Amino acid sequence: MECLSNQQIQDYIEKNGSFVERSIIRDHLIVCEKCQLRYKQYLQMENILTDPEYVVPPERIEKNVMKKIYSRFPAYSSLLSLIAASFVLLVSWIYIYFDFANNSLIQALKMTSDNTSSWIASVIKIISTIFSSVYAIYKTVSKFFDILFNINIGIEIFSLSILILTLILFYAIYQLVFKPSRRQKI
Amino acid sequence: MILDDDQVLIKNILGGKKSSFEELMKKYNKKIYNFVLRMVRDEEVSIELTQDFFIKIFSVLHKYNFQYKFSTWAYRICYNLVIDYIRRNQAYVDSLNDDSISQKRLVESKNIISENGFDKLEKDEIKEYLWKTVDLIPLKYRELIWLRYLQELKYDEIAQIADLPVGTVKNRIFKAKELLRKEIEKDGMFE
Repeated sequence: MECLSNQQIQDYIEKNGSFVERSIIRDHLIVCEKCQLRYKQYLQMENILTDPEYVVPPERIEKNVMKKIYSRFPAYSSLLSLIAASFVLLVSWIYIYFDFANNSLIQALKMTSDNTSSWIASVIKIISTIFSSVYAIYKTVSKFFDILFNINIGIEIFSLSILILTLILFYAIYQLVFKPSRRQKI
Repeated sequence: MILDDDQVLIKNILGGKKSSFEELMKKYNKKIYNFVLRMVRDEEVSIELTQDFFIKIFSVLHKYNFQYKFSTWAYRICYNLVIDYIRRNQAYVDSLNDDSISQKRLVESKNIISENGFDKLEKDEIKEYLWKTVDLIPLKYRELIWLRYLQELKYDEIAQIADLPVGTVKNRIFKAKELLRKEIEKDGMFE
């Protein structure tokens, strides 16, 4: 049999090829000193390559990545949350104070907004829907208390409850969004 | 569909779990950093590229297809990042087309041997010598050696990462080992 090619020896070391092919190579290696030498050289090399030494990565890689990834999100979201919460708070109070559901200006705006396609009209519609729902809940709760406990909940108490709930929501957003980003900056 | 460990972590990351991303980074940091370091041969650049890699992974994680192995997808992103960097730096481009071992760098590697003499070399020194010799072979072979032995990837995975046919990957790794064996033999490093 002719001597083995380097490719055959490498394949044998990497356990490639069929059982028959591997058996032929093994038998040849037993009898051929020349191929045996090359086989040993490749094997020695393979043993070193399969056991590489790793450099320990600097700790700052993980720290920097976490800082970059998780600090930029609170920065944007906190600003948006602040705007959203302020908007909710402001609109709540104006709406409740003036009882806009029955206000002729809003009624007129609602009617005109049906003929416009601007996003402002949509936002007004959404706010109007939310507060109509809230107002309906108020009416229900008020009726419930009136029937069961003979207590009349005024719009003032109800709006105070909404204010407290808004403040709790505001505080929760602050805790969730603002606090972590500050900690990261330190 | 059964998810592997990496995919479970990805699900959690996409669900907003910060600690899962930390865990994923811990798992891949060492291998990615070492691959980048071997490829670009500059510590500061390697740190920056490794950071860029993880940030990139995070920003495109929602595009990951759970039908494929995460490591292959991630290594492909890493590989492209490194290759882009290398291509932007003209000094490396020449080595892509050069099939011979750089004589100038070979001298640096052989200094390890001449200081000690072959007979007195310890196992660790032989190891160091071999890995330094890998550094001297052309990039198109060297990068596949790193993927195969440093990242412990299979031929088909390497083919997907480097965007090459499996046959080409096998041939290049074979050629790389040929170059290494000849060099080591020439230096009388084999036992």
